[in-house]
Amino acid sequence: MSKKTVPYPVLDEIDEPVRQFNELDASLTYSYANYLNWLFPERVELIAGKIFKMSPAPSRVHQGVSINLLNPIINFLKGKPCKVYAAPFDVRFPKESKADKDVFTVLQPDICVICDKNKLDARGCIGAPDLVVEILSPGNTKMELLHKYRVYEEFGVKEYWIVSQSDQNILIYTLNDIGKFQPSKIFTLSEKITSSVLPGFELILDDVFDDID
Amino acid sequence: MSKKTVPYPVLDEIDEPVRRFNELDASLTYSYANYLNWLFPERVELIAGRIFKMSPAPSSFHQLITGKIYRRLGNFLEKQLCKVFISPFDVRFPKESKADKSIFTVLQPDIFVVCDRNKIDARGCVGAPDLVVEVLSPGNTKMELLHKYRVYEEFGVKEYWVVSQSNQNILIYTLNDIGKFQPSKIFTLSEKITSSVLPGFELALDDVFEDM
Repeated sequence: MSKKTVPYPVLDEIDEPVRQFNELDASLTYSYANYLNWLFPERVELIAGKIFKMSPAPSRVHQGVSINLLNPIINFLKGKPCKVYAAPFDVRFPKESKADKDVFTVLQPDICVICDKNKLDARGCIGAPDLVVEILSPGNTKMELLHKYRVYEEFGVKEYWIVSQSDQNILIYTLNDIGKFQPSKIFTLSEKITSSVLPGFELILDDVFDDID
Repeated sequence: MSKKTVPYPVLDEIDEPVRRFNELDASLTYSYANYLNWLFPERVELIAGRIFKMSPAPSSFHQLITGKIYRRLGNFLEKQLCKVFISPFDVRFPKESKADKSIFTVLQPDIFVVCDRNKIDARGCVGAPDLVVEVLSPGNTKMELLHKYRVYEEFGVKEYWVVSQSNQNILIYTLNDIGKFQPSKIFTLSEKITSSVLPGFELALDDVFEDM
């Protein structure tokens, strides 16, 4: 395989599977092609080729909130073209080309909704979902609010929901006309949210945070 | 004392001190005049005359974070006109009159800054502070984000900072030209916030949440 000129240093050899997370070098830049060769159990995400290790397993409360969010979305999307997926589910964010070797950002949103079927393939989603939901966990705040925030904004995710299980609230970033996220107020118990991506959808926050302890 | 006509039902007799929280009736509307007669140890807040019991005592995380933000603001405001205060300290939100009997909203923000010295008297602050900081605790989310949010917006608090200890982030609401709160993005570790109320002030979030 001939060496491709990319704006990043990329490993030349990607044929050998990597069986131990520790064999990765955090100072290197990896592509989705590399990522596909990683056979270790740890879950990782890539942003601009850098490795971000995910927390071992989400808490029970995190998963409870996730289910409470998923159910109404699944029900709402029945018979509609948009599809909803829950983590673990790879979303690739390609820049110039969609070739595995040219994709350097791969994330696993907690929940994502994709309305363009052309973005879906056997391995996940390629391109920005219409809606992404991330549930904050202790320790992942910077990842969700800084690193992923920038990716979702840059690649044009139309709506990004930030859900706090501990503070029982939700904030919605909506992409505006010039491609910048506009924050909503913070919604909390007794309030409802709607979505510009899913017209007619309504989520009652009391239901999301009900019975999760 | 003649009965005053107010848009709320108000207790007629406010002379007797109330020594037990349980003697209050949650269905009644109370004024700051009533509140001054409450001698029980529980801390309460009033919004439009309704009683909101405060959580028994804040957690150590809550106090560490509150202390850090208070110290930064205090250092910045040394020898300045604006003054910073820390809870417990009453802020009265008067509507028509500043008379005790006519004030139905009394809150204790975790931290607030007042730049108009006329708003400060011996018993606290009367009128909207310029800046309010609330640190979320488990169980008080609805109070801070819904009830107090509405009061601060309605009475014209210029900036309202919402601090999450568990998620290590801060969001700033800024009052716009038409008196509505505009949210900032959520700021988190490695970021800094500034304040339109305190030009030149900068707060690094790493400093606020270190050692937690």
